[in-house]
Amino acid sequence: MKKVLLLLGIFSFSFAQEDLESLKRQLEEQKRLIKELEKKIEALEKAQKEEEPQKKEAREGTRPAPADRSLQLRLKFDERLRAYQISPFKQTAFLPDISFIADTSFVARNRNDQTFKKLEIPELYYTHANDGHGKLNEKRGFNLNYGELYLYAPVDPYFDLYATIPFSEEGVELEEAYAVTRGLPGGFQLKVGKFRSSFGRLNAQHPHTWDFATQPLPYKVFLGDDGLVEKGIHLNWLAPVPFYLLFGMEVLQGENEQSFGTEGFSVNTKKDGTGSNIEVGDTRKPNLYVGFIKTSFDLGRLSLLTGLSYATGKTRINHLDTEEPHAFAGKTKLYGFDLTAKYTIDSIRYVSFQGEYLYRDMKGTSYGYDDNGDLFMPFTSRKQSGFYAQLVARFHKQWRAGIRYELINKNEVKSDSTDRGLPKNLPAYYAMLEFSPTEFSRIGLQVGENRAYYLEGVRKPVKELILQFNFAIGAHGAHPF
Amino acid sequence: MRLIALLFLFFSLSFAQIKVVATYGWIADLVKQIGKEKVQVHTIAKPYEDFHFVLPRPSEIAKLRQADLLVINGASLEVGFLPPLIQQSNNPKIQPGREGFLDLSQFVELIDKHKKVSREMGDVHPEGNPHYVFDPHNVPVLARAITERLCQINQKNCSYYRANLEDFLRRWSAKLREWDAGFSKLKGLKVVQYHKTYNYLFNRYSISTVGTVEPLPGIPPNARHVENLSKQAQGARFVVVEAFRSKDGYAQRVAELLGAKLLVLPSDVGSENTKDLFDLFDTLLRRLSG
Repeated sequence: MKKVLLLLGIFSFSFAQEDLESLKRQLEEQKRLIKELEKKIEALEKAQKEEEPQKKEAREGTRPAPADRSLQLRLKFDERLRAYQISPFKQTAFLPDISFIADTSFVARNRNDQTFKKLEIPELYYTHANDGHGKLNEKRGFNLNYGELYLYAPVDPYFDLYATIPFSEEGVELEEAYAVTRGLPGGFQLKVGKFRSSFGRLNAQHPHTWDFATQPLPYKVFLGDDGLVEKGIHLNWLAPVPFYLLFGMEVLQGENEQSFGTEGFSVNTKKDGTGSNIEVGDTRKPNLYVGFIKTSFDLGRLSLLTGLSYATGKTRINHLDTEEPHAFAGKTKLYGFDLTAKYTIDSIRYVSFQGEYLYRDMKGTSYGYDDNGDLFMPFTSRKQSGFYAQLVARFHKQWRAGIRYELINKNEVKSDSTDRGLPKNLPAYYAMLEFSPTEFSRIGLQVGENRAYYLEGVRKPVKELILQFNFAIGAHGAHPF
Repeated sequence: MRLIALLFLFFSLSFAQIKVVATYGWIADLVKQIGKEKVQVHTIAKPYEDFHFVLPRPSEIAKLRQADLLVINGASLEVGFLPPLIQQSNNPKIQPGREGFLDLSQFVELIDKHKKVSREMGDVHPEGNPHYVFDPHNVPVLARAITERLCQINQKNCSYYRANLEDFLRRWSAKLREWDAGFSKLKGLKVVQYHKTYNYLFNRYSISTVGTVEPLPGIPPNARHVENLSKQAQGARFVVVEAFRSKDGYAQRVAELLGAKLLVLPSDVGSENTKDLFDLFDTLLRRLSG
């Protein structure tokens, strides 16, 4: 047995020796080859350098004529081989389109920042509900509104992926991250992730593509400073007809703070918390359903785009930890109508009209405290609506001007069927002048007055001047109509 | 019975048509030359529009939804309006990389390629100058590329397309001899261009561009540049502008300062009432010789 083992040992050793010998030989051979190759490359590089001036001349002539085609090919191959051996798993070719947009502004306003922060639009907009991100042109003087990172690339033959990541001085937010199908049959398209809802016209547009620096009133009060940006799923169908006809529906989480919300809360019957608690549960999740139809056609040089939108969901608004604690639980229906008309005069000039009307129907229980600190919870119904209409003209390749009128024309709020007699007719109007040296830079001046703001029941008109600078670098996709 | 048969025939004929969307008029014309009545062609860009800045009308999305084939110029010329249209078309057939997407810039050698590009250089295309259609010698290879793709999509009519191609190439080479002779007479002519739109034509026939009205590609002119240009570009006979820029004040000013003639040239088939590619080059030759 031992003998056998010994024999085996000797054999394996000698084999190993042989293996080692052959390996060494191979290594030597390869070293020699590499040296040879290096020499060759050097020689070729030298040859190429000498060739260069000739090549330049050839390029300037009508047809480029390589001096020695086979030599060049061999060199190319060697170079590629070398590059490959250094980084064989390089994936830089798959880098997505990356762009960065910086938005900064100078603001002059007739109200100081403390007052401006406290201003409200009765039963429509309270600043404490809109802290954090999304506030543009917040302070007098200079503002850094956002620096937005934008990524896009096809995932595979079936999906495209988009991500919008705005940075503010305080932090980062994942505003949008969604995948869109590239090839569903039958004219369908599916979108999944977090995205801007296709409700209305302006909502799906990023702030840097807005014609004006501020959001129109109906959007601000019904959808908030960020607009309707939600997690969910979007399905649309483009009808096979000779004109543009798009049907779509969305199922969204419905966390929007102005009109929806999903999280329940508990209310104490006493303002000081000594009473008993009333529990209000979460809504169903997902909570928000959106449907829309859009159509477009051309009349000569006039292009029209119009649409109807509808959103419905449960509502949970919780401002119990504020100075004047209040809350709301109910359901909301939101209706929208939009119309865009663009008339092209020539390759540079155009006139464009855009208008939207939004109507909100909100019903449910309000929670608040009376002067004695006792809870009262009336049944509340809000019927509110507003619109904006704007006219923008490009009259020079680099210059545009426009005006916009915004109005909340209905603010009917009833508590236990008594009308609260709230102010309606809340207007705002702005004019803008924009200079954009190229598609990648914009300098806009906007002046106007917002007469919708109130403080403790007194109207506080806000006069504003905003000088906005917007720059985009990198690979940024084109914008739709 | 006969009526039904006739109706059926009519419908099957109209259904048999291949639906093609072309980004520009010249592409549409080339597709029509090959496909004739077997294709139905729609053009996105209007003849009065700047080819870089076409309005992405939603009505184009409806056309793309139904298309079997989308033929584009490529080399980033459509980058400002086409991607969102394709994305919204909900049509898998015409997505880049599929059989129904044809980028013609892949078939010709592009000039004015920069080793390095940056936006400080203005609106330069990394791929090279995208206005390759203005070299008439590029057209046959493009016609072949379109024929091959139509054959791929619609094999049944392949021999028909090939026959039309042969006919087109015959007519084109006859005209080419005429154009070569005509343009060769302009050798050494000095011109100022507004934008480097006609570089392919001018390079082919040794017409020299002594300056451009815009200081950098896509950057509008200014008074200082115009003044410099009027010194540099002495001896230019024409200031050449595309039809969609014909009213540009700077171009007129440059022409005045140089004592040159402001020459409006068609920017595409359909521009300046050119009815097809033959007419486009006839018009170019006529105006440059005048």
